[in-house]
Amino acid sequence: MSTINFSAREINFKIVYYGCGMSGKTTNLKKIYESIPGTAKGELVSLATEDERTLFFDFLPLDLGQVNGFKTRFHLYTVPGQVFYNSSRKLILRGVDGIVFVADSAPNRLRANAESLRNLRDNLSEYGLSMDEIPYVVQVNKRDLPDALPSEMIQQVLDPSGKIQFFDAVAAKYIGVTEPLKAVSQLVLEHLAQKA
Amino acid sequence: MLQPSLELYGESFEKVDALLDDLLAKSHAQYVLIVDLKGFVIAHNKALWAPKPPSLDSLATLIASNYSANLAIAKLFGETGFKEMIQQGDRVGMYVEELDDTALLVTLFDTTAALGRVKMFTKKAVTEIQTILSESKGEAPTMNFDENWQNSTRALIDGLFGPSK
Ligand SMILES: Nc1nc2c(ncn2[C@@H]2O[C@H](COP(=O)(O)OP(=O)(O)OP(=O)(O)O)[C@@H](O)[C@H]2O)c(=O)[nH]1
Ligand SMILES: [Mg+2]
Repeated sequence: MSTINFSAREINFKIVYYGCGMSGKTTNLKKIYESIPGTAKGELVSLATEDERTLFFDFLPLDLGQVNGFKTRFHLYTVPGQVFYNSSRKLILRGVDGIVFVADSAPNRLRANAESLRNLRDNLSEYGLSMDEIPYVVQVNKRDLPDALPSEMIQQVLDPSGKIQFFDAVAAKYIGVTEPLKAVSQLVLEHLAQKA
Repeated sequence: MLQPSLELYGESFEKVDALLDDLLAKSHAQYVLIVDLKGFVIAHNKALWAPKPPSLDSLATLIASNYSANLAIAKLFGETGFKEMIQQGDRVGMYVEELDDTALLVTLFDTTAALGRVKMFTKKAVTEIQTILSESKGEAPTMNFDENWQNSTRALIDGLFGPSK
């Protein structure tokens, strides 16, 4: 649920990057941070282990600008993908408005992708939410891997119904990073307009 | 649905704002914040003499996450929560109280403030804010998320990330 702050005249949206360990979630935020002009972005906060795996979350606030006198802000978060950090993942999902699911194209990660999506569904259900209610898109990352699985195959595993938007990406090179974020933002706006 | 996490606007906001100033004055704290558990800043005040605070966005998200993690730890032991939430460094301390199940009142203070006073006045402020919230009529201002609003917001997103191909 987006949070409106009438006194500060702000609307805040929370977008969470989800996906299995090492799929490239933190890389997305780092690349966005490097590429966005200084005035629009806040600090990038990363709670990570010594070997740069996300321990709790990464956080990046973005200021879009004003509409009708209200500041619109996006708060981007990543979750830790490693299986045993599930309690942290659950906490980060609190109040989520939209999700970018980052899938890994490596053949040996196909199963981990599917398991992470199932884990997302389970964790959302603990907040009384279902995947059908939350705007989400999929980024198929690491398309540069020589043995990358065909995108269609990953798509079929993660979304047999074909209803979800998929985006090919090489997040490490800032390719296919803005597209899924824009797409999910668009869905979040539509969602809000419908519900208001 | 749009969710103002606390019913804080108009008159109740002004009352709470005044209370936060009062809390700063009486406790000799540097900063007070109301933080939503989703990690957003709802309100904040700073003592006139205090230096510029660090990024409030970073503060809010770390405080909310830290609180949530501690609550989860307490629950592992069958507790409903931990009673005291105090952090103390050499120069700076932080005291956190629950306002309700969606928000926290946070007081940050330096060595010129006495912890006992900070705790007492923060607790008092919590009770007073709760009263204001329970008395507020909840006449939320309305916002129109019409096509116009959507288009303008989309234009801002394009402005930031470049137009769609
Ligand atoms: N080949 C390739 N490697 C990538 C790409 N994007 C990220 N990586 C690498 O994948 C590794 C993991 O990236 P992270 O962004 O830390 O992954 P994560 O999803 O945040 O991982 P956790 O925090 O453990 O959940 C790093 O070594 C990145 O450099 C990509 O597009 N292609
Ligand atoms: Mg990470």
